[in-house]
Amino acid sequence: MNMIPRQAPEARKETRVETAPLARVTENDEGYTLALELPGVDERDTELTIEHRTLTVTAENTVARHKDYALTLTEIPEVRYRATFELPERVDTAGIKAAQRNGLLVLSLPKREEVKPRRIAITSA
Amino acid sequence: MRTYLSTINNPWRLFDELLGDFPFEPLSAVWRGRGGQYPRVNVWEGEREVVVEAEVAGVDPEKMEVSVDANVLTLKGTKEVAGETAEFQRSFSLPFELDEEAVKAATKNGVLTVTIPRKAAPERRKIAIAKL
Repeated sequence: MNMIPRQAPEARKETRVETAPLARVTENDEGYTLALELPGVDERDTELTIEHRTLTVTAENTVARHKDYALTLTEIPEVRYRATFELPERVDTAGIKAAQRNGLLVLSLPKREEVKPRRIAITSA
Repeated sequence: MRTYLSTINNPWRLFDELLGDFPFEPLSAVWRGRGGQYPRVNVWEGEREVVVEAEVAGVDPEKMEVSVDANVLTLKGTKEVAGETAEFQRSFSLPFELDEEAVKAATKNGVLTVTIPRKAAPERRKIAIAKL
């Protein structure tokens, strides 16, 4: 009797290592820009979800395979990128925009109007 | 912003590690992942060509340079992430003669693929031995 359960093909896919993508964040008066490095990830394989104030990014890269070629140097593993961010109250979650280009996912997180810096005019009494 | 994003890695760490590294890696004997080098690559060796794939997220294809000098392949470029730029360079010495004219490079989703055909081996020529 074979006691070892055979893995379904879908289950085998789950052997991808989960890793956090390299990320960078910048701030200006209008909002924050969050850039995540996702090399080898197609837009279709990127998932962005926002639940209350938790932003989650999951993505799977595609590593090319060449039949009849020998893989002589392997530095790029198949991975699942995963990152979770707790967004501060000052971010307007409804206005979040995302764009993916050259393996970089760029999210713009606008600040809510009321927290943006504004100039206060001084009136002479 | 800094506090809640504190768990994120520093993308420029790899560049720091690049400094002081010997510029050439012999591809034949040491075709193994060494880690810490930028960009990370996969190298596929075929009968007719070698395919080098490099992870170059955030690099505009216009700001990337692939060059071949003798049998040394060099990947060079400028990376830009969130307004910060960093230059990178990585060279490989290939253990065979290559067809410089036929080297091809393409990018997709932040992965650079360089195809390097081997130079066709010159035909074997038999030399007649004259009797003196």
